[in-house]
Amino acid sequence: MYITAVAALAVGLAVWSEIAYGLDQFAALGVFILLAALHVVLPDAVVEGQVRVSLSGVILLAGQAIVGPAGVAVIGAVLGISQGKHAPLQRRVFNAAQFSLHGCVGGIAFIVVGGTTSPERLRDVPQIVLGLAVPLLVAVVAQAVANLVALAGVKRVAEGIPMRGQMLAVVRGTGFAYVAHGVIAFIMIVLWVLANLGPVAAAIVLAPLVVAQWIYRQRAEELEGQQRALEVLVAALEAKAPRLGGHSARVAQLSAHMAEHLGLGPQQVTDTRVAGMLHDLGQTSLPTRVARAIDLTDRDHLLDYPERGAAILHDLSFLHGSLDPIRRHRGGLEPSGGLSLPARIVGLADTYDVLTTVGSPSGPVLAPTQAREVVAGAVGDPELLRALDHALARQFEGGSRS
Amino acid sequence: MTPILRRPGRLAAGAVLAVGALSVLRGLLTSGGDLPTLLATHGHTLLVVVGFVAVGELARIRMPSGRETAPLSSASAMSAVFLGQIAGEPTLDIDSGLVVLVVTFGLVLAAAARRSRHRATGTPELAARVVGVSVAAVIARDWGSPTLWELQGLPSASPGVVVLGMGLAAAVGLVTELVLVAALRAERQQTPWSAAVRDEVGEAAPLTLAVLVTGPMVALLAPVLGLLSLPVALVPLALAYTAVRQYIRNRETNRQLIATLSHLTEHGGYTPEHHAERVAQLSVRVGRVLGLGERALRDLEYAALLHDLGQISLLDPIPDGATVLAAPADQRAIAQEGGRIIRRAEIFDDVAAYVEGQTTPYRMVRELGEEVPMAARIIKCANAFDDLSGGTSDPGRVSAAMERIHLGLGYEYDPDVVDALTRVVEDGSVGRVGDRPLVAR
Repeated sequence: MYITAVAALAVGLAVWSEIAYGLDQFAALGVFILLAALHVVLPDAVVEGQVRVSLSGVILLAGQAIVGPAGVAVIGAVLGISQGKHAPLQRRVFNAAQFSLHGCVGGIAFIVVGGTTSPERLRDVPQIVLGLAVPLLVAVVAQAVANLVALAGVKRVAEGIPMRGQMLAVVRGTGFAYVAHGVIAFIMIVLWVLANLGPVAAAIVLAPLVVAQWIYRQRAEELEGQQRALEVLVAALEAKAPRLGGHSARVAQLSAHMAEHLGLGPQQVTDTRVAGMLHDLGQTSLPTRVARAIDLTDRDHLLDYPERGAAILHDLSFLHGSLDPIRRHRGGLEPSGGLSLPARIVGLADTYDVLTTVGSPSGPVLAPTQAREVVAGAVGDPELLRALDHALARQFEGGSRS
Repeated sequence: MTPILRRPGRLAAGAVLAVGALSVLRGLLTSGGDLPTLLATHGHTLLVVVGFVAVGELARIRMPSGRETAPLSSASAMSAVFLGQIAGEPTLDIDSGLVVLVVTFGLVLAAAARRSRHRATGTPELAARVVGVSVAAVIARDWGSPTLWELQGLPSASPGVVVLGMGLAAAVGLVTELVLVAALRAERQQTPWSAAVRDEVGEAAPLTLAVLVTGPMVALLAPVLGLLSLPVALVPLALAYTAVRQYIRNRETNRQLIATLSHLTEHGGYTPEHHAERVAQLSVRVGRVLGLGERALRDLEYAALLHDLGQISLLDPIPDGATVLAAPADQRAIAQEGGRIIRRAEIFDDVAAYVEGQTTPYRMVRELGEEVPMAARIIKCANAFDDLSGGTSDPGRVSAAMERIHLGLGYEYDPDVVDALTRVVEDGSVGRVGDRPLVAR
């Protein structure tokens, strides 16, 4: 339903701009469509959920002055369809409509603020700034806004995530990249039209962009390596204390779900998840016999391994947010205990999982309902308990689905 | 093996410096006389070029292999090579010698700024840059009739062809610089020249491509945008530059993370403090001498840091954590356990294989044709050296350790690796890169 609406809007706007502004540069349009198809081999670099370098963004912007809004609408549709090799048809149609729409909106904004679709008439630097550079920046903003609204809309409809938070997160992360895309598109237009270079301009301008994209892909690989290395840390812990097998992963997931449910920000959710994952790491520094004999179910028993774990990770700046919950997750869980919310989240998730799955070295484990009663007594914070129930329900769902 | 034979002096550095000085001298001789008039007419243009060359040089980045590069400065220098018509300014009709002088001046300014902050200037590398720029400038401004530079002003010339020509000229200049820098590095670290060139070209290729197009881009934008064209054209390159910086930061974080893993056995008292880091440093230096590529060196470093990880689940620590003195079966069990833990992350399969391979004696390779990766043989040797010498630089213990390793030559240890280790141990500069934080040894 939502997709149909977006698609209808896109087609309508494209037709209207064809009537209002015309479409005549067919040769150039052909080149742009070829470039758009290149997008299949060079997908946008997205790191940590934020667009860093986007070939499609530059192509759409450069199109504004060279082929006009109706042309950009066509290019946008090609870009959208060529995105995602294995995406379902429905998704491709939405992408096509969405790219076409935000391209076209950008194009109209470009013309409304005085941008020209015949840049060859611009004579000197002030004219170029007013007739090309400034309108391009406006188009950048217009495109970004149209893109964000459409995307946030679809997420709102599909996943129920509120629009405002999403949009703020994206804007904060991608500001510089968007401006840079505007400048690159500007260079491409000047070279293409004013320096008489034609399509060769695209090759020159896009080279650095392709390079940046390639490097970002390498970086994504390194970030992946970082996650994997954290898993090796967990594996080292589980080699030390085999009875903890799977415990870290479960606590990490419970903690993350609880943090999300309690409305923590994305960074805090990540920190809490990582803290849940590494909360027992300090046990690796104990002699093996000691580590294997610890009774984790006895929360009153004072242990120094949380402190050791935080000390081991102290030098890693990207883990700073996780150190406090790691260090203090065995503190008192009641709200008056003075612990930060992430520390209490990890503490509760840990306690629950220890009671239901890990158990004491000699004793049996509790059934979920029994364990739920035990922790309810210790926590005394209905909101935190509700978060646990919610997280357990999600974990159960996830488990039964896979 | 007298010290004199070991230190052939800095031949390449001297040669590069000499050629750089010659380029500058030639510039002074050909256009030194016109300098005052040229400065008066092209003052603004030259000021902008000098400024960007100097600032770009101060924004150097250090690549993972330790090579330093200044893409923004190189690109600014290359744009000076090609600049002709500039809107609002007189056409930059100067000969190649003056281009070299201008670029050199910018680099000298940057070097002076670095010197005043007590940081290394890297003079031979700067000389290599000057040589690269003069090669490109001679091709663009002196060579052929009409020259490439004259062509860009002719209405009859196709802009596409001119761009291609400029790109080629810039490529020749930049490759010249790369090869010279590779020679400098190979000499400084006493590593094979071919490996240095391969690394240099491989690692620098993406950024160099971005630098390559920036020079012609500035020259083509200038008739329209005037002097604004330089900052504008640097934006796409800056995007690539930012990407590289972030990539490098992530690489460093990951290295620290792996180092943290290596500390686990140290905190538990299973292995001596900093043993893993010393073995890693030694392994990487030996790997460089043996000409391993950048990627392989990274995996070698990770594996060397983690080579004792398997000790983590031992019930009783082995004395001093020295695996070289443990029974072969125990050594293998420890290495297998380490490999098993590392394999939890499938992208580290190579690293795990190196850790597992470190216990295989060299004779298994020689006699039974068993496949043992070079990295594993290096770790075996470096680990034995550090275990036997106890990580001190005490000459008596070092030579005793080397003697024991020589006893196992060909049987336990790969002779090529032992040879490289000997060189690394005898000379602290062999295979070592710059001022990365080092562990005292």
